Amino acid sequence: MLRAAPRPARRTQRRQQTLAGYALLAPSMVGVLGFLLAPVLIVIVLSLFDWKLLATPEFIGLANYRELFGDADVWHSFLVTGYYVLICVPGTTILSLLLALLVNRKLRGMKYFRALLVIPWMATPVALGLVWAWIFDPGRGAINQFLGIFGIDGPAWLSSSLLAMPSVAAVHIWQFAGYNMLFFLAGLQNIPASLREASSLDGASPVAHFFSITFPLLRPTLLFVLITNVIGSFQAFDTIFVMTEGGPGDSTEVATYLIYDEAFRKFDFGYASTISVLLFVVILIATISQFAYFERRTTYDFS
Amino acid sequence: MTRSRLFAYGVLVIGCVFAIFPYLLTVLTAFKGPGQLSGTLPWEPGLPPSGAAFDRLFASGFGGYLANTVLVTVGITAGQLLFAVLAAYAFARLSFPGRDALFWVYLSTLMVPPVVTMIPLYLMMQKAGLVDTWAGLMLPTMLGTPYAIFLLRQFFRTIPADLEDAARIDGAGRVRTLLLIVLPLSKPILVTVTTLAVVANWNSFLWPLIITSSEDKRLLSVGIALFKGEIGVDYNAVMAGSLIALAPLLVLFIFFQRFIVRSVAVTGLK
Repeated sequence: MLRAAPRPARRTQRRQQTLAGYALLAPSMVGVLGFLLAPVLIVIVLSLFDWKLLATPEFIGLANYRELFGDADVWHSFLVTGYYVLICVPGTTILSLLLALLVNRKLRGMKYFRALLVIPWMATPVALGLVWAWIFDPGRGAINQFLGIFGIDGPAWLSSSLLAMPSVAAVHIWQFAGYNMLFFLAGLQNIPASLREASSLDGASPVAHFFSITFPLLRPTLLFVLITNVIGSFQAFDTIFVMTEGGPGDSTEVATYLIYDEAFRKFDFGYASTISVLLFVVILIATISQFAYFERRTTYDFS
Repeated sequence: MTRSRLFAYGVLVIGCVFAIFPYLLTVLTAFKGPGQLSGTLPWEPGLPPSGAAFDRLFASGFGGYLANTVLVTVGITAGQLLFAVLAAYAFARLSFPGRDALFWVYLSTLMVPPVVTMIPLYLMMQKAGLVDTWAGLMLPTMLGTPYAIFLLRQFFRTIPADLEDAARIDGAGRVRTLLLIVLPLSKPILVTVTTLAVVANWNSFLWPLIITSSEDKRLLSVGIALFKGEIGVDYNAVMAGSLIALAPLLVLFIFFQRFIVRSVAVTGLK
């Protein structure tokens, strides 16, 4: 069917290509349009309904949104999410850039170091969360046992409302610093070596070279790393689910956790959809504003 | 050896120890017996090693979770690859009305977070009677992801069309050109797409947690998360469970390390 006839008229050929094109696209159209795009529209519709598990759904207009804006739990969870993002994104970005500068050096065995640093990225987040919960264990965990050697009485990391969030965020940074390092490394390797030679002839120090040459040239990479990390950390769920379950109190109850809780423990699909819409809007605004910020600045391309 | 080199190696070693330490601790804890856990420091091995934690795990059904996870990961990944290749080929090589508009729609769905789609997807599956079925678990992701389609399409476009035209003049059809010309030339991007898919599918948690409830369809990630709730802080067993989840990807990584490190870096940029 997909085979072209020996000498088809132009029109039949075009029709055949159209048919072939849509035949090849059919499965993914079900996946992308049906399971990604349609749900976005449906979630908006759901947010206008009072839709509880067994009751008949009832259209209530913007009532869910009115409730949302007066709901202290929602505000709190978005603040907590913002706090998480504000620790994870700069932490991961800065650490991965420093690692990239380090592994960009030509040293023996470097490819093994690079590989070892990337390993945490593929760890199953749920398993990883449990491993870190054990490391953070106040009594017998590795961190407090280690601190004990120096006579320091370590805190109860995950059951302190002050320390729980930074601890959970540290796990995110641990998991993704090596992975993001690879993008910065690729960016660094795209910079022509002649620029380094030129600036050292001009007598620039390595630090000056970094800030005036290297860093501006890494801007496209930086944008990519920032955007993917912001989107990712706004949706944190797996590690928090097993490490703190949103606690202690509600100190790590991030937005995704709240949505899960409303939808699949309280079965309030309508209200949970409303919170999802808000989260989506927040992620969109965060993403677009990063694009806008970088757009205004010059970028350089050597490829 | 110069001082700056020594310094670089020092920092690298510390960084790698940090990266590997949790894995090491998982292995050490998983092979400790109940008495050894409290008798040793976390970073000391329990001697002699004990498999008691694994016995307990497999007695409570972990063998089944492991088999389920392998099958589901292979199934979803195979589907994603097949359907993404077909879609990417259509976008890269065929011309038909609506192609570019459709491609932009696909690209725009890259921005859709899974959290936002999970409630509608669940209700859709409920309407279709697919809650707690294999189809419900696998269907939403196995028809191809926009990211894989995007990466493949970009790569296919760099393959000279002349090669395909030559094959077609020799009488090969579209399917044969795709299989015999395009795919063999696309090995690097296929490795990348497969790696990303395997990691994502093996690790996925939220959707399996929501859509499955019966034990015979439980995946490892859900199994260990719920296991912790059932038995409390039995760290031996929890670490043994984590090890079963972490080890397969680690082994794959050791074998394909060279390709994976290279291939991850080509995504996202250009």
